[in-house]
Amino acid sequence: MSRLALLEARLLARDWTVLVFAFVFPVFCMVVLAGVFGDQPDDGFGNVRPDDYYVVASLGVPVIALCLVGLPVSLASYRERGVLRRFEAFGVPAWRVVAAQALVTLGLVVVGAVLVLALASFTYGIPSVVYGWQTAVGAVVGVVCLLLLGVVIGLAVPSARAAQAVGLLAFFPLYLLGGGGPPRGVMTGPMADIASALPSPILAITDPWLGEHQFSGQLVALGVWAVAAFVAAVVFARRG
Amino acid sequence: MDGTAIEVSDLRKDYDGRPVLRGVDFSVAEGEIFGIAGRNGAGKTTTVEVVQGLRSFDSGTVRVLGLDPARSRSELRPLIGAQLQTSALPDRLRVGEALQLFAGLAGDVVDWRSLAAVWGLDGMLRQAFGTLSGGQRQRLFLALALVNRPRLVFLDELTQGLDPAARRGTWALIEQARDGGATVVLVTHDMDEAERLCDRVAVMSDGVVVAWGAPSELVGFGGPVAMRFSSSSASVLEGLERVPGVVEVRFDGRAAAVSGEPRSVVLVAAELARRGVEPDDFTVVRPTLEDSVVAMLDGGL
Repeated sequence: MSRLALLEARLLARDWTVLVFAFVFPVFCMVVLAGVFGDQPDDGFGNVRPDDYYVVASLGVPVIALCLVGLPVSLASYRERGVLRRFEAFGVPAWRVVAAQALVTLGLVVVGAVLVLALASFTYGIPSVVYGWQTAVGAVVGVVCLLLLGVVIGLAVPSARAAQAVGLLAFFPLYLLGGGGPPRGVMTGPMADIASALPSPILAITDPWLGEHQFSGQLVALGVWAVAAFVAAVVFARRG
Repeated sequence: MDGTAIEVSDLRKDYDGRPVLRGVDFSVAEGEIFGIAGRNGAGKTTTVEVVQGLRSFDSGTVRVLGLDPARSRSELRPLIGAQLQTSALPDRLRVGEALQLFAGLAGDVVDWRSLAAVWGLDGMLRQAFGTLSGGQRQRLFLALALVNRPRLVFLDELTQGLDPAARRGTWALIEQARDGGATVVLVTHDMDEAERLCDRVAVMSDGVVVAWGAPSELVGFGGPVAMRFSSSSASVLEGLERVPGVVEVRFDGRAAAVSGEPRSVVLVAAELARRGVEPDDFTVVRPTLEDSVVAMLDGGL
């Protein structure tokens, strides 16, 4: 597994589009949005400073981007081109390759989040964590759920191009409605309802970190989506 | 082992109720290059995937190196190498990384740098897979199929899409693999390749093996052997039709054409010599394996 994960990490390091998505895009979102909305506490942001909100919210951006686009494209490409079959013919089951890709995606997510915090510490500052371990739970559940969803997309679609299309279609609503764009407090009722049903890792992190809730209500949605994604992943994996 | 690498008997498999293999029988001796030929959809790839333990089957018996691939896949895995029909490597993976990775997965039984040197890959170790030519890719695939020093190698459409020079280069590599002690199972559409390389060939059609044997035995299905030579008179041909194995004798005023079974060639030549006829343009045209396979498949054998 470690051999495969190292190889996957090397291959990803040669793909500049993934690196931009993992490291540049979240930082860009944080710098722009935190700068636009400023540092005055606002009702729409749950009475926290908007720049604090976007610093923390930007931690979820690499999770969504890498899990819903990077991972499925890579996995679907392996299936489409017969790379998984080559590994299987060599006695390496497909699930190990998938697990290695998920592991590397997780590593990139962590590095992306560290970069966001590093830049924030020099610019807007890092807000203190109100509910520590609850934030960790939100992050873990959010990442696991999104990784599972990424695997499902990668196993379900016929090609890398289709994975990119489906991944981007999933990315934008989840990013914009899931806390990466406007905060939940300024959304209309129907939009807020839709947002609460989405598997948003952003809200699962921002709610406890900024003290909105100890446990984000988003954990329920994430749990339901994770279970559904796990079942779907098993079904698609058995289908081949 | 009794010298048999693969024994397949009455192998059957359905996909969603559609029979793909309908009672496949063949055996492969250790140390030979065994070809599996046939049209698209004949069941060739499914057969070799079942034999490798990559696919399940519904009924029949399969023994590979004395093992049941369905039950002993993990024991069989280190003993076989494979080039699959539709498989690739990540475009950004370098040749050296691929060799190192698969050698490591195989337990480093072969030094991957030595393997690269043997297969002429040492000059392209830092080259990405996506930048390799077709011939270079096949060279790499062949090296990867041998990275665990297998006793049995499966090569599925290895030379498909290669230019003639690269194809001939790959043939030499396949023979090199066999000379190194491996038994080779070669799935191919290319009858020229099968005739040139294989010790024996199984011809599959519609999920069954319709014929198998040495290429020289199979060419008999392609029709009679044709003999031609110049002659100024039809009189020298009189009675040739009674030579054993001769099917037809024709004369067009300048040349004679005799057709018959392969054994008739020597007998016709001997009869001509006995009559004092020694044409210096006596030519024999044998049907090719491709003629034979097409005849077999079109004939519904």
